[in-house]
Amino acid sequence: MAIKLIGNYAKRLGLPGYSSHQFSVSVETELTDAGDIQGEASRIYDLLQDAVDGEIQQTGFVPGETYGLSENGSNHRNGGVSSETPKPAHSNGNGKTRWSCSDKQKEFIGKLIAENDLDPDSVEEIALDRFGVGLRQLNKLQASGLISELLDLCGKQQRSQKGGKR
Amino acid sequence: MISPPVSKTSSNVLGRTNDPLEYISASRLKCFQTCRLQYFFRYVARIPTKTSPALLVGQVVHAVLQAWNLARWRGEDASVEAMANAFAFLWESKAEEQKMQWKTPEEEATEKAKAWRILEHYLQNSPIPLEEKPEAVEVVVERDLLAHGLPPLKGVIDLVRGGGRIVDFKTTARTPDESQARHLNGVQLGCYALLYREATGQPELGFELHHLVKTKMPKVVVTTLAPMKLQQIQQLLRVMESYVAGVEAEDFVPSPGMQCSFCDYFTDCQRWQGSPLPR
Repeated sequence: MAIKLIGNYAKRLGLPGYSSHQFSVSVETELTDAGDIQGEASRIYDLLQDAVDGEIQQTGFVPGETYGLSENGSNHRNGGVSSETPKPAHSNGNGKTRWSCSDKQKEFIGKLIAENDLDPDSVEEIALDRFGVGLRQLNKLQASGLISELLDLCGKQQRSQKGGKR
Repeated sequence: MISPPVSKTSSNVLGRTNDPLEYISASRLKCFQTCRLQYFFRYVARIPTKTSPALLVGQVVHAVLQAWNLARWRGEDASVEAMANAFAFLWESKAEEQKMQWKTPEEEATEKAKAWRILEHYLQNSPIPLEEKPEAVEVVVERDLLAHGLPPLKGVIDLVRGGGRIVDFKTTARTPDESQARHLNGVQLGCYALLYREATGQPELGFELHHLVKTKMPKVVVTTLAPMKLQQIQQLLRVMESYVAGVEAEDFVPSPGMQCSFCDYFTDCQRWQGSPLPR
């Protein structure tokens, strides 16, 4: 019987300017000598740690102390919501637009749509109506507002379904 | 018809946890700054408290303002009449939820009338035009502070007006002094600034404190504040570091002062004998 050894090494490090970065490496190997699990685990650990440590020293872009803390507000959007120019959503290189909100919010919106059988087009409409941008362009603040709205909508649906059963 | 908003007290929106350092919030920081022993009773020992009439008034006023902002955001009926209906519903449901025990029926009637009087005055004299669409209403926001060795910051922002003006509603018995208001709300507004910047990638345009003053003749006082400066943010981070160190060290000692006269834990505090507190 083949014995597999699966290892994963992850490291997350804090960086200046409220940021952090993380990197992990996984490996799966088949043991030839079942009697040396300890030795093989130790070897893999060293290997993965070296690999992660080698790469994580590349910090890439690190925001300075004043990043996002502008005092003069000169880059403010003026006027009401409708006159704002939303930030363009990022492209992931495959021609598809990446979501601007957090992964957690994106997942939660997807879950609400799936679990409550909501029409994705209607949800897109709500986003456009309330924020003037589509789902993918919602920032975290707007996504939070949309989630509250969807929870309210789902609550109303459930209440009316319960009422119908009476 | 305005649908009454889902109850969003900070505890049920942000989640209750037994670990007081699972996240930082403006109310936790404020409580710790007011009195560390009060903080212990509220957030560590979790001793339940009775809702006072003044607290109920504050909760209902806040909930009606939330309904008003949501109605404006959704393009629904936000008239005074519609809000009167929402108020009647919310008063009943909140009083039931809090299991309010009134001394006499007259006491409830007096408090209810007081709450509506201040709300009606605000709705008729609000500095916010009825047709103005909010940027956000009662949004839950979070910011990772791992790089500072701090737990994440969480908060609920009452209202964001167009362009990033963050609004917080306050009910108060006395007319606020402007410089005092700035000083006393610095931590809360600093938290909102950090959260807003994280959520939008933009600095806030400024702050507005809308004080609903419960004097005989109700008043609305608006205090406007400039965007947070870097130095203020750095001060706030220092306050957070001190808070985390204090909670980790279980350094919960009382701070006798004016606040004791309306503290929910006055009796518990008097029983405190100076020994380390059990969790």
